[in-house]
Amino acid sequence: MQDTSLRGQNITRRVLVVDDEQINRELLGMIISREYEVIYAEDGAEALRIIRENEKTLSLVMLDLMMPEMDGYELLAQLHRDEVLRRIPVIVLTSEKSAEVKSLQLGAADFITKPYDMPEVILARVRRSIELAEDNLMIRATETDELTGLYTKDYFFQYCSRHDRYFPDMAMDAMVLNINRFHLINDLKGRRFGDEVLAAVGGCIKGTVDANGGLACRCETDTFQIYLGHSEDCPDRLGQLTEMIRTKLGWGSISLRLGIYHNVDMSIDIEERFDRATLACSRQRGTYGTSYCVYDTEMHEKELFNERLISEIDKALTERQFKVFYQPKYDIRGDKPVLASAEALIRWFHPELGMVSPGAFIPLFESNGLIQKLDRFVWREAAEQIKRWKEAYGRTVPVSVNVSRMDIYDPDLEELLLDIVRSNGLQPNEYLLEITESAYTNDSSQIIKTVEQLRADGFRVEMDDFGSGYSSLNMLAALPIDALKLDMRFVRHICENPRDMMLVEMMLEISRRLGIPVIAEGVENEEQYRLLKSAGCEMIQGFYFSRPVPPEEFDLLIEREENKVKC
Amino acid sequence: MLTTDALREYGAAVDEGLARCMNMEQFYLGLVAKAAADTKIGELKEALAAGDLDKAFETAHALKGMLGNLALTPVYDPVNEMTELLRSRTDTDYSVLMGRAEEQFEKLKALV
Repeated sequence: MQDTSLRGQNITRRVLVVDDEQINRELLGMIISREYEVIYAEDGAEALRIIRENEKTLSLVMLDLMMPEMDGYELLAQLHRDEVLRRIPVIVLTSEKSAEVKSLQLGAADFITKPYDMPEVILARVRRSIELAEDNLMIRATETDELTGLYTKDYFFQYCSRHDRYFPDMAMDAMVLNINRFHLINDLKGRRFGDEVLAAVGGCIKGTVDANGGLACRCETDTFQIYLGHSEDCPDRLGQLTEMIRTKLGWGSISLRLGIYHNVDMSIDIEERFDRATLACSRQRGTYGTSYCVYDTEMHEKELFNERLISEIDKALTERQFKVFYQPKYDIRGDKPVLASAEALIRWFHPELGMVSPGAFIPLFESNGLIQKLDRFVWREAAEQIKRWKEAYGRTVPVSVNVSRMDIYDPDLEELLLDIVRSNGLQPNEYLLEITESAYTNDSSQIIKTVEQLRADGFRVEMDDFGSGYSSLNMLAALPIDALKLDMRFVRHICENPRDMMLVEMMLEISRRLGIPVIAEGVENEEQYRLLKSAGCEMIQGFYFSRPVPPEEFDLLIEREENKVKC
Repeated sequence: MLTTDALREYGAAVDEGLARCMNMEQFYLGLVAKAAADTKIGELKEALAAGDLDKAFETAHALKGMLGNLALTPVYDPVNEMTELLRSRTDTDYSVLMGRAEEQFEKLKALV
């Protein structure tokens, strides 16, 4: 079949006319040659040879049925049996009605009766048959994933919807299957083996859905979606599938995780059904063996809750349901702790839900990008607060604000922060930026560039949550930062666990040698405070001094500090 | 020399045949001349005489297609009738139909 990329280009397509009668060949050839290049064959055997030789450039065969050597039926049957040749459309030339059914069964695309119709009719039918076949080829090329033979995602959803239209009362399961640590398979055994794994998984899934009347696609690199009639024996199915794949690959180390949304709610979108299965699948991230998880009521409620938070963020910002709280950071190098700065922390006071935990909405908004709206709100509020304190007490209490990973990639970040600072009559060095450690490890070069620029503008940058992720010590040396915030998990057990304390001491020593001051977070009691102080920690933040408080309460902390100085 | 007028007088549906040839008169007349030189009428007669109804059907069927496309009605009609009878391998006396076909074919040849 001619390359479908020629579609729409002004390239003449090739048509083979097969008829043992010279006059018929000439007559038909004359008509067809108005729009196509015509080649001829006098019998079925010659036609088959020509078709094989021209399989990539032939757009259509016009075939007489009664011929010597090999008749039209036999040729049709041979073409139909060939995976490649069957894609070339065949128009049968016949004077008999009875021949039409048999030809259709053998795969003919259309008929032209003898004596021939008017040339315009013949040309129109030829055109239509070629277009249909090319469309078909194009659809085939885009609807299936070449590596696995499964549907591509878009077509998969369309076929699932069609399945529902035909079988509206059939109970269905939506499933998402993921290969555990596929990237490691690629890294350790090479991309070619990775492709073999994907092909094997795809092949086994296809076998399963074909046998059970379901549908499947590969929707991402190593993620598969399966739509099958409802069954309660998912563990068995998954076990069998894993074994099939292991046998096919001859490699027993592969493991899978399956997310199942049982007995799907037909009233929700097909995409949403698979979102639920994906959620169930993602619950098992990090597991080692083959495992499965069923989407349940708890997940459903959590999902509804998240949806509500997402849909209400704009209203909450407009209605000022969000408040910025401030937690002080104390410089503990001297005899007495001195209030040095504060961290701005957002709180959500929902009129119906009460106080929504930051743990419920911050990771959620980080995952979908809405965090940027909150960050910008906090940045403005914090700058205004620094200004207010400056006016009220004649001193600067620098406030640190969180800069999310997503903000780092915002090309307007620098301009925006400068604008916020300047519009409040502040200098950049009165404003602190906290960037989480994991942001540095993701794309360090981009982040280092942005941070260097911000520091050149005068902002001071603190690395947040140090030690919570995959920190590496050499990264510390390369990073342009003004302070390091030790994650609270390090501090939590320093009193009862000497090893934790030892780690903290090591990090303090390294930071000291690099000239980077350390702020310990989560300090809750005097014992922790004393240990950290004696180990040389420069600053402390935590409940020991104060929980995060609203601005009016923070005023009291400043006033107490002022009084101390006066005394 | 073969002309469309002569073919009309002979009884051919010339307009239909010409339309199939996209009104290219010389092309049409060229094909008709080739049809007049065809030997299948003789082959059909021989097959019938030998009682080989399979061969007779194949030959009649091929003739019918060719003559129909060129709209040579006077010779097409008896050949068409024979084809339908032969399709079911009807063992009958074909001499009258064969005679008509031969007669009309000779007339066609004379025009060329």
